[in-house]
Amino acid sequence: MISQELNDMITRIGPGTQAGAVLRHYWQPAALNDEMEDGLPVAVNLMGERLALIREGELLVLATRHCPDDAPSAQYPPSHEIEIDTSGPSYPAHEIKGIAFAYMGPGAPPPFPQFDCFRAPDSHVFAFKGLWHCNWLQALEIGIDPAHASFLHRFLQDEDQEDSYGKQFRDKAAHTNMPITQLLRDYPRPDIEVEETGYGLKITALRHMENDLTHVRVTNQIFPEAICIPMSREMTITQWHVPVDDETCYWYTIFTSFQKPVNKDLMREQRLKEHRLPDYAPLKNRENNYHYDPAEQAKLTYTGMGMDINVHDQWAVEGMGAIQDRTQEHLGRSDVAIIHYRRMLRRAIADLSDGRSDALPMQGDIAGLRGPLSNDAIADSKDWKAASHAVDLERRAACPWDASV
Amino acid sequence: METNTSGQWVIVAQSHQLDRSRPLIPVTLDEKPFVLFRDEEGKLGLIGRHCPHRGADLCYGRLEDNGLRCPFHGWHFDRYGQCVEQPAEPEGSRMYTQIKVPMVPVKEENGAISAWMALEGDAR
Ligand code: FES
Ligand SMILES: [Fe+2]
Repeated sequence: MISQELNDMITRIGPGTQAGAVLRHYWQPAALNDEMEDGLPVAVNLMGERLALIREGELLVLATRHCPDDAPSAQYPPSHEIEIDTSGPSYPAHEIKGIAFAYMGPGAPPPFPQFDCFRAPDSHVFAFKGLWHCNWLQALEIGIDPAHASFLHRFLQDEDQEDSYGKQFRDKAAHTNMPITQLLRDYPRPDIEVEETGYGLKITALRHMENDLTHVRVTNQIFPEAICIPMSREMTITQWHVPVDDETCYWYTIFTSFQKPVNKDLMREQRLKEHRLPDYAPLKNRENNYHYDPAEQAKLTYTGMGMDINVHDQWAVEGMGAIQDRTQEHLGRSDVAIIHYRRMLRRAIADLSDGRSDALPMQGDIAGLRGPLSNDAIADSKDWKAASHAVDLERRAACPWDASV
Repeated sequence: METNTSGQWVIVAQSHQLDRSRPLIPVTLDEKPFVLFRDEEGKLGLIGRHCPHRGADLCYGRLEDNGLRCPFHGWHFDRYGQCVEQPAEPEGSRMYTQIKVPMVPVKEENGAISAWMALEGDAR
């Protein structure tokens, strides 16, 4: 449990707030390239501000737009209705890997770190986004919570893996014939190790299996509001939880493929089927009870909300309320990464209020940052660390683009 | 049911509302969200709607093992709101004994379900 005052401090992100100041020191996803296909301006709602992407000469700029105070959080007027407010702030923007990022902080924007999602060629990445009706921090926290996959995403029967392209948790667990879904179900109490790194946190979930084998799943928190996790053997997910305002956020994901080019048409089609435009709101949502079916919950899935794990996550974080009431929570051992992350965020807030912005993660020299390692491996329990590394290096060595670390 | 505080029984639901394969409905008391369910013994539980772990919505909980289980990390609650299991916590952890969801006493009479509403100032 934390105090209301502290909960406000770490969740609220409008202009002038402390957590907002931390986030503004980093590039923020503002729109998908897909949204800019019919030309600019494109309306953007970001960090509690009403904005629009425009072009000034060659430069992409995120300018302020006129908007009534009571307009819904995620309202997107068409191009011809957008009026730029030249008295408001405007920010530099930059297109990379299917996303227009904006820098809304002071001074010069930091360089983009050499993470896999930014290094891979355009053919090997695909970007998409989706709207969640809740505060960004609870959306991020589910992504640094390795235990929940054993429950929230539990399938009571294992799906055929044939139809698994572009979906999470549908592969076989590394080097075995065991579907990941079965592994998660059979070993629900992972040991979780958290290590602070130059980019944020490396989170290792260890599931100790029979015969002295250990399943090692490495995921990452990338400061301040992103995660990098394995999706399948072929792909990783780098996902930002971007505030629209205090009570609404988008996930922006760059799917990155090591070996083969991404089948973007299929990936886009799979996801457009589950979302509406222009706000990218999921078709399963609070208004229709996420298509909750008690019969399915009894027999097939843990939630009764279908096989799409994004819907499970969405239900979990939206159900907490617009801003999770952390004065009522009881964190356990399984929340160790969340506890560590909040400590980092509070430290960053303190550093900024002491005028030490260069003490924040990735604000200094980032030349050595690569990866991050993000994978599943099954290893002899004695040397799981080395095995996890070896599996990652193997994949990188076989990769047609330069994924060396 | 006897209680020590002053208050009154207030009808909050009809028994037939729970006549379904999954006997669970949301109930609002004093503007606070609760969930009313029948366990496998046929007894009623009226407990806070947000899981005391990280606040997930127990209205979508799994009615099983004679109680209500949160789908987020599997914490399991009995009809008194007492946490009885935390399946993601380390083996041997006793943390669950300290966890309780707010619970409101209920009784069922002549097809009506009533909750004991403590008077102002007597509330938890
Ligand atoms: S939020 Fe209910 S078990 Fe974690
Ligand atoms: Fe999840």
